[in-house]
Amino acid sequence: MPEGAVFDVRRAEPPAYDWQEVATVDPGVGRYVDASVQDGSVYRYEIRVRVAATPAGAETPGAAGTGLEPPTAAAAPAAMGAAVVSDPVASHDNWFRAARANSLVATVLFTVIILSSIAYARSGKNIFIRRIAGLNAVDEAIGRATELGKKVFYIPGSQSMDDIQTVASIAILGHVARATARYGTDLDVPNKDPLTFVSAREAVRSAYLSEGRPDLFREEMVNYVTYDQFAYTAAVSARMVREKPAAIFLIGYFFAESLILAETGQSTGAIQIAGQADPTQLPFFVATCDYTLIGEELYAAGAYLTREPVLLGSMRGQDIAKAILILIGISGIIAVSLGVQGIPEMLLTR
Amino acid sequence: MAGFFDRMLTLDRRWIFLFVFLSVAIPIIIPIGLPVTTTGSTRSAFEFIEALQEGDIVWISFDYGPSSAPENDPMAEAIMRQCALKKLRFVVDVLYPLGGLQLANNAIGKIAEEFPKLRYGVDYVNLGYKDGAAAVMRRLGEDIAGAFPTDVNGTPLAQIPMMQGLKSLRQVKLVFTAATGLIGEWWITQVHSQIGIPVIIGPTAVSAPKYYAFLNSGQLVGMLGGMKGAAEYEKLLRGRYPQMAKFYKTTRDFTATKGMDAQTVLHTIILMFILLGNYAYFRQRAKAARA
Amino acid sequence: MNFDFGRVALVLLFAIVPIGGIILGIRAPALRSRIPIMVGFLAGLVPIVSLYVPKNFISGPTGMSPRLDQWLIILAGFALLLGIVNVLQTSIRKITRREAGWPFAVVLLAGLFSTGSFGIHGAISGQGIGFLPDGSPTPFKYMADWFFLPLQSTIFSLLAFFMASAAFRAFRARNTEATILLVAAGLIMAGRVPLLELFALPFPGLQPAAAGASQFLGRTTEWIMDTPNGAAQSGIIIGAALGAASMAIRVILGIERGYLGLGKGE
Repeated sequence: MPEGAVFDVRRAEPPAYDWQEVATVDPGVGRYVDASVQDGSVYRYEIRVRVAATPAGAETPGAAGTGLEPPTAAAAPAAMGAAVVSDPVASHDNWFRAARANSLVATVLFTVIILSSIAYARSGKNIFIRRIAGLNAVDEAIGRATELGKKVFYIPGSQSMDDIQTVASIAILGHVARATARYGTDLDVPNKDPLTFVSAREAVRSAYLSEGRPDLFREEMVNYVTYDQFAYTAAVSARMVREKPAAIFLIGYFFAESLILAETGQSTGAIQIAGQADPTQLPFFVATCDYTLIGEELYAAGAYLTREPVLLGSMRGQDIAKAILILIGISGIIAVSLGVQGIPEMLLTR
Repeated sequence: MAGFFDRMLTLDRRWIFLFVFLSVAIPIIIPIGLPVTTTGSTRSAFEFIEALQEGDIVWISFDYGPSSAPENDPMAEAIMRQCALKKLRFVVDVLYPLGGLQLANNAIGKIAEEFPKLRYGVDYVNLGYKDGAAAVMRRLGEDIAGAFPTDVNGTPLAQIPMMQGLKSLRQVKLVFTAATGLIGEWWITQVHSQIGIPVIIGPTAVSAPKYYAFLNSGQLVGMLGGMKGAAEYEKLLRGRYPQMAKFYKTTRDFTATKGMDAQTVLHTIILMFILLGNYAYFRQRAKAARA
Repeated sequence: MNFDFGRVALVLLFAIVPIGGIILGIRAPALRSRIPIMVGFLAGLVPIVSLYVPKNFISGPTGMSPRLDQWLIILAGFALLLGIVNVLQTSIRKITRREAGWPFAVVLLAGLFSTGSFGIHGAISGQGIGFLPDGSPTPFKYMADWFFLPLQSTIFSLLAFFMASAAFRAFRARNTEATILLVAAGLIMAGRVPLLELFALPFPGLQPAAAGASQFLGRTTEWIMDTPNGAAQSGIIIGAALGAASMAIRVILGIERGYLGLGKGE
């Protein structure tokens, strides 16, 4: 290919079938996706090489700095290569996105591993789950609040129910609410997101019902504060300072408000248990809270606290999948080091 | 002296707050002018944009709010200045609710004043704010006009010269997102992974450590980490384009370079407190061991 | 009204089927807890299928998956009404019973009604919530610019103070792990800023050495951020992603029900 050559992609559209510029593509690019077509319409495509005109006196690239006198080049006009025209084509939506076949295989495999681990757990086999200090401390924290006659604060993060961390947090809230119902401890759940507020209220109400203490449930236990991040933080911080809870749970997806809430909670002397899967705010929780659930420990909480075989089984399945990924990673490192590019290509998804 | 170290262990937080306030306020009022060193992730971002050709389109997304404006505003302004200097066209969108649009409008207004030859609709366009960040990004990959039927002034995209040939994000050479929170990450996981378009991210300093994983895996071509990253970019810009020095010289306007003075003094104060606290802690332990 | 397949399928799956289930549930209470699980299954299945099936009725611009995204936004809007009602109830109860902090509840209601009124007025009158035709700000914009934004920045700025006090308290070399944390944090804090140049300011002769040392510190910082930090972040992100995927499968298949308030065996 001559220096400076590019490919012009043109398209002829119905009904006039005049050629129109679509894109200019650099050499070496093997694929161009034209996303502006209409399904069902018949188009023709043309690709041709174009070399831009060069003015007289242009330096030969690379000559500068060599100490040699750069040759003075003559002017060259723009040049066009022969056009390659496609047959008439029409796009239509496919039933399957072939570029994501590897992702589908991985998803199906992962699901099969999870489901078979659940079946394994249901058959009565004992499944080991390592000690997670933060989850062991949940009952201890609620017990402390009961002894002191103070509240338990539960802050379910700042995201909505479409975030899986919030779903996990509400599941843990159910467990905490059952414990507070059992011990008669006061619970306060301030919410930032309206959907989370609705789910949290239902989770707490059901928890109190299932413990046989519907009389202890009050609507104001689970309350909505505001949607704004820092207004919510200010309100909850002020509530912590005024009411001095004995135990604070900060479990869910937090952003910049995490340190303000955790540090304020620390100043009140409460025992604090935090948990977030995203690593961004974890350093602040580690520095200010008594216990922190890191990463997937948040998702393991349901299995850990309830010891339900089904949930334990899915933890086992998750670990098996992780082991497979580690093996693939190691194989990939070895393969790439030996010059074999197959594994990274196989794992690439568009 | 012994009493001082004993008191360090039970130091009232408000003394720390006072020192923090002074260490930030004084350098802002009386700038020191400390030098800034550049890092690899910022240099890669700068050189990537430097390698683009005249007329290429850069997509600039304002995905932050007023709370992180001191970190993200200088980044966005520096990128837009570089685009203007290199005669790159840029499209601005806003995906962060609660104040993002106002910040974008302010930044664009500033750049338009600095570069009066920039023509709206030809050299740059402001598409305004759209709700539903991830869904908008997916739509942009297929059909920009479907996600943003009009620009921020209500003009249909078909009537804007620059947008007439620009149908989808695939035609754009680079996405720069000045981000706080998740929206920046979605540009990587939803847009880069599905379309393959290069992404440079300008996160807040708190989020920056997470993005090193994406840098190492090649999912980002560069990163401006927090106010330090913005200050590095300002330095690179001044170094390559000396005429930019005038925008960073005035002491009244806030720039990331000026903010680094305050950050330097603040880090120094915090390190001193940590060292003093550790010394007091070990002193107490030694005393207890002797007793 | 257009009856494209995607829209009809969505209305059938998420409106008619659950309503029918609720009616049946009146006769069979056990069925009532199954409806949210079924809705969850369908709501989880549609986006997953749209990832692999590029048919217009599922993943096209007006397909089932993007429509479901829009429905979620609309749902959140209605849930916001519930939230506002709760705020009103809580605040009014506080004021009428003169509970601790009741004047703040008065301020809250004043802010809620005034800002809300300005916003609604802007929408009804067509003025909007930005600038008036004469260039002056609308009352809503005035409240946002001069009350809301400064207050937001103030609370955010607390982070700097709290970070300092948290660092002072947490970075003690109590054990091996805490010492590693302390050393790494100290190196990063020193390496990210021109700290040595600050110390060398009164001594011009030392400035070149300070600059050189600062460069070395900067490279050390970059290595810590790139290598140990990058590796740890990747590990946590991958682990958390697997955990999220596993949790999502459990939620979609109805195995995990804690978020619905259903306990063991329910």
